[in-house]
Amino acid sequence: MTTARRFVLAGAAVFFVAVGLSACGERDQVTVYKQGKYQGKPDTKPWENGPESSLYTTSQWDQGNKTSWEAAVKTRNLAQNEYNRVE
Amino acid sequence: MARMKFLCDAERCIECNGCVTACKNENEVPWGVNRRRVVTINDGVVGAEKSISVACMHCSDAPCMAVCPVDCFYRTDEGVVLHDKDLCIGCGYCFYACPFGAPQFPQAGAFGLRGKMDKCTFCAGGPEKDLSKEEFAKYGSNRLAQGKLPACAEMCSTKALLGGDGDVIADIYRQRVFKRGKGSEVWGWGTAYGKPDQPKAAPAGAKS
Amino acid sequence: MMLTRKSAGAPAHLSSSRLSRSLSGMLAKTIDRRTFLKRSGVAAGAGAFASQLSFSMIGKAEAAAETSGSIEVKRSVCTHCSVGCAIDAVVQNGVWVRQEPVFDSPLNLGAHCAKGASVREHGMTEHSHRLKYPMKLVNGKYQRLSWDQAINEIGDRLLAIRKESGPDAFYVVGSSKHNNEQSMLLRKWVSLWGSNNCDHQARICHSTTVAGVAQTWGYGAMTNSYNDMQNTKCAMYIGSNAAEAHPVSMLHMLHAKETGAKMIVVDPRFTRTAAKADEYVRIRSGTDIPFLFGMLHIIFKNGWEDKKYIHDRVYGMQQVREEVLKKWTPEEVQNVTGVPPEQLQKITEMFAKNRPSTIVWCMGQTQHTIGNAVVRASCILQLALGNIGVSGGGANIFRGHDNVQGATDVGPNPDTLPGYYPVAVPGSWAHWARVWNVDLKWLQDRFAPGMMGKPGMTVSRWIDGVMEKNENIDQDSNIRAMVYWGHAPNSQTRGLEMVKAMKMLDMMIVIDPYPSATAAMAAMPVEGVQEKAGRGVYLLPAATQFETEGSCTASNRSLQWREKVIDPLFESRSDQAIMLAFAKKLGFEDQFLGRKDGKQNLRVLKTKGGYDEPSMEDTLANEINRGAWTIGYTGQSPQRLQAHMRNMHVFDVKTLRARGGKDAKTGYDLTGDYFGLPWPCYGTPAFKHPGSPNLYDTSKSVMDGGGDFRAIFGMERDGVNLLAEDGSHPKGADITTGHPQFDHVLLKKLGWWDELTDEEKKEAEGKTWATDLSGGIIRVTMKNHGCHPFGNAKARAIVWNFPDGIPQHREPLYGIRADLVDKYPTHDDVKVFWRLPTLYKSVQDRNKNIGKDFPIVLTSGRLVEYEGGGEETRSNPWLAELMQENFVEINPKAAADRGIRNGEQVWVKTPTGARLKVTAKITEGVGPDHAFIPFHFSGWWQGKDMLPYYPDGAAPIVRGEAVNTATTYGYDRVTMMQESKTTVCQIERA
Repeated sequence: MTTARRFVLAGAAVFFVAVGLSACGERDQVTVYKQGKYQGKPDTKPWENGPESSLYTTSQWDQGNKTSWEAAVKTRNLAQNEYNRVE
Repeated sequence: MARMKFLCDAERCIECNGCVTACKNENEVPWGVNRRRVVTINDGVVGAEKSISVACMHCSDAPCMAVCPVDCFYRTDEGVVLHDKDLCIGCGYCFYACPFGAPQFPQAGAFGLRGKMDKCTFCAGGPEKDLSKEEFAKYGSNRLAQGKLPACAEMCSTKALLGGDGDVIADIYRQRVFKRGKGSEVWGWGTAYGKPDQPKAAPAGAKS
Repeated sequence: MMLTRKSAGAPAHLSSSRLSRSLSGMLAKTIDRRTFLKRSGVAAGAGAFASQLSFSMIGKAEAAAETSGSIEVKRSVCTHCSVGCAIDAVVQNGVWVRQEPVFDSPLNLGAHCAKGASVREHGMTEHSHRLKYPMKLVNGKYQRLSWDQAINEIGDRLLAIRKESGPDAFYVVGSSKHNNEQSMLLRKWVSLWGSNNCDHQARICHSTTVAGVAQTWGYGAMTNSYNDMQNTKCAMYIGSNAAEAHPVSMLHMLHAKETGAKMIVVDPRFTRTAAKADEYVRIRSGTDIPFLFGMLHIIFKNGWEDKKYIHDRVYGMQQVREEVLKKWTPEEVQNVTGVPPEQLQKITEMFAKNRPSTIVWCMGQTQHTIGNAVVRASCILQLALGNIGVSGGGANIFRGHDNVQGATDVGPNPDTLPGYYPVAVPGSWAHWARVWNVDLKWLQDRFAPGMMGKPGMTVSRWIDGVMEKNENIDQDSNIRAMVYWGHAPNSQTRGLEMVKAMKMLDMMIVIDPYPSATAAMAAMPVEGVQEKAGRGVYLLPAATQFETEGSCTASNRSLQWREKVIDPLFESRSDQAIMLAFAKKLGFEDQFLGRKDGKQNLRVLKTKGGYDEPSMEDTLANEINRGAWTIGYTGQSPQRLQAHMRNMHVFDVKTLRARGGKDAKTGYDLTGDYFGLPWPCYGTPAFKHPGSPNLYDTSKSVMDGGGDFRAIFGMERDGVNLLAEDGSHPKGADITTGHPQFDHVLLKKLGWWDELTDEEKKEAEGKTWATDLSGGIIRVTMKNHGCHPFGNAKARAIVWNFPDGIPQHREPLYGIRADLVDKYPTHDDVKVFWRLPTLYKSVQDRNKNIGKDFPIVLTSGRLVEYEGGGEETRSNPWLAELMQENFVEINPKAAADRGIRNGEQVWVKTPTGARLKVTAKITEGVGPDHAFIPFHFSGWWQGKDMLPYYPDGAAPIVRGEAVNTATTYGYDRVTMMQESKTTVCQIERA
């Protein structure tokens, strides 16, 4: 088989593969896939919840206020250091 | 700005598996999926036995995120690396890429039949409504949204495993190291938080 | 190329369906490897998405569903080990949904080990392996029956057995996992039944400690605390694997290490605790006395002992000194223990020169035929160095189960009543009959003649109570019925004989949240043993400690109050409800409730299940607080304990003292209290004694938690003064020299009698400080004069009433050093000991050369993932996953000699003829002549899985061989503790 022929056959094979598969996705092209960017559901930030959303927590912060949430978490973090309670 | 990290102090870790069980309890992780494990080297060798608790380190330049073919990973503002299970195709690339072996799959097998990847979420849940049933069913507990920190770090029996804002836990660790005068290795921090193209960015004394 | 990138179009719309987004996106790309894989994923997995969505959840029904329904937070305490880690249980609509650490707790600061971090599983009903309803063994299978049926059948049988054979034919094995109130009620229950045949896990755990230590200086408990170890300069762990048995205690120890303390670990195995040590000493199992006396030899030789302390507060050290210097030279120590002289010198220097130094021990020291002597050697070492009664020093005995300390203090012991009042002393019975509001004569008539003052059999020998020839046992009838009430069978030795004994019983009852290995062992057919005709085996579901309230005593003697987290699950009932139901059926309900002459000690509460149970608060307040004067369980009222639990943050972590604080709920002033009011907390609750954090501490006044050594051994011996010397006394005491314990006579002699109120005088007349129910003697002695009511004496280095006054090393009954058996033989056989003939010399002589066929010393111990007999923890999937099979630790050389590879199945054989099939774990952690098997497993019997014999759905997830199936005969000469730490075995490939 000549090279050119092979080329055409390969191209045809690929063409048919592409066409064969393209049928399963006839949808309007509103969304676009951008490689390297997160494609999933959105997630809310932790401080967008208030303390009352949890079943039980001792932390206190203002809902929506990032700085106050960070302060609450940092305070709680100190419990992992027993040197705070004993030299 | 809180940048969440884990640090396990090998001088204190006694391999009690409290962290492993706390995670299982808090997130109701099923049998076979181990978000956190304790690794022991030189078991039984006098003077050389050391243990350390390993889970997802929530790397600064996460390899899992880089290789994922469906881009199901994202990073929160606190630096927590999470992923969307609805997108995950179970290809296993993230497992190959991760230096810590964090991604877990509920089933064995090739060709995408592994099931949805599961891994430590820093107890930050995932991309579902915070503190909802759906979030818990898919991703486990969201302690950050409750103003808490990961259950493993909070329940560690000897406070070897520290988890929280990187500055805070580095401070705690620094205080300890200063007191004891030795054991300052910061296992995994170079790999996880140092930038690969700037090797000097890893904190001095970092191991690997 | 044919395929080109299609135009991008609008950016991805977040609200469109994920599937469509992914699919449409894919068509825009060229075929590259990534895209190709993505497409194949989509084609193959479109349907698979849904099935991969959720991961199977344990306890789906319990998933937290937003913030709906009533939410309560109950504070409880982990039910596993004696550290006493507090837990906040979040309960939503009566379901236990979340578990939070309690950072405020001064004992554990929020920390947990694997077991503590998993307790929430007890409240899960889906996939639960708990015993759910009463069951009875019918034709080899367990069938369900109702509570009423069970109680009636069991009760009728018990009454029949009692009629035919007397009350001593029934043996009650109680539990160290019962809380204090349940423990005391069980001791009362057995007394009202009319027998002393009861016991619990302490027998096989620290019974030798309690006996040996109490006989040395007064109380047989941990002298300091886990927290106090932060003050030590050097800690020596001998026979303790704290990193696995008491993991959170390592928080305190490692903190101490970081601030400069040294850590020595002495153990036949290189354990996880040893991995953290500065010095690890490998020692032959059972040779602790030579080792400790070897240390003492070096200490005396160098003059490092505390001469003033010994002069003031110790009796008999001179004789010990002579013997130790003569006998235990470093060379002989090496011969017996295997420890090289240089290492012995090094650690002795470390220990003696870094004071205050503390010694920690557990089963490694206690579980031997000479256990009582071993613990005394440790005490003598500490006395010689002046480390007792000092913060940072002490004898830090790590107790095992969560309430073994409390159960020992007030629970079902065969030789004492609650508070260690001896059964052999009639006054003890008179005292408790008063407290229990029970007629003394009625109580005496309940017992078989002559049996009331006779200590009962021990749990370690109940099987001999069944199987031994009747003429050899010291009671009328053999044991015909027994109950395992919160106790596992696989923690006792001689399992091979135990299954036979189970077959010979008329009735066997298991009362437990889990069926436990007993259920399977009782149902399993045993070759060559005929089951007794008409034998009845019953399983009754008990509720866990999270399904009731009550107090428990941690190893450091602090009491903590547990709130009830959830109602009993399935058809389980609290132990106190079960006790009450049986008391009613057996005819002593009135006495059980303390109902007499218009008074009733215990209120009866109606439960959600419709049945009755006695009040736990009343049990503590009206019986324990009113009766246990000897050990100071009188000041810890429910109200004080609950206030402590609500205000944990005010307690200092190093000293356990509250610097201030007022309880918001009751207004109780916490200032000065020590956390949990560690016993002894003398006097009435109103007396407000703060508790005693470190025992025998003369640097503090008695009202500040200070103390001295107890005066119970007499005033003098062989002309030597047994009371403390002049100048040795608690700070601020009016009597500055030694004195006996206080009673009405001494009070009158000193002219202090008139300081009592008239009420107190009426009650205290004719009484001692320990039987005066008004607490007046204590009040006057302590508050007015700063003296200790139990006297001020010397500790005894020589316990003359024990078989070996000065501890003697004796080789174990089964050992590999035939040469040393001649030099250090064991005791002589005893004809009657705790009602049974007990052999020593005859067994050792017969097995002198057993080392030829069984050349490896087999020892057993704990793992961090499991607790005790293990059925409870092996039924918890989160724990079971971590340790899925039983194993034997074997040295590389020993393995190579036998052709064993790592991970292979091997048979471990012992002289009993039993063989265990376990996995080989090759490790340098054990020496070439030692092997180790954890004891937490059961559910396999000599290679066969016992699953068919468990009740359906209630077998533990992980089953394995029980090492105690194969362990051998051997018991401590004072307490009948089993010798489980050292026997011999041979290992071969399966």
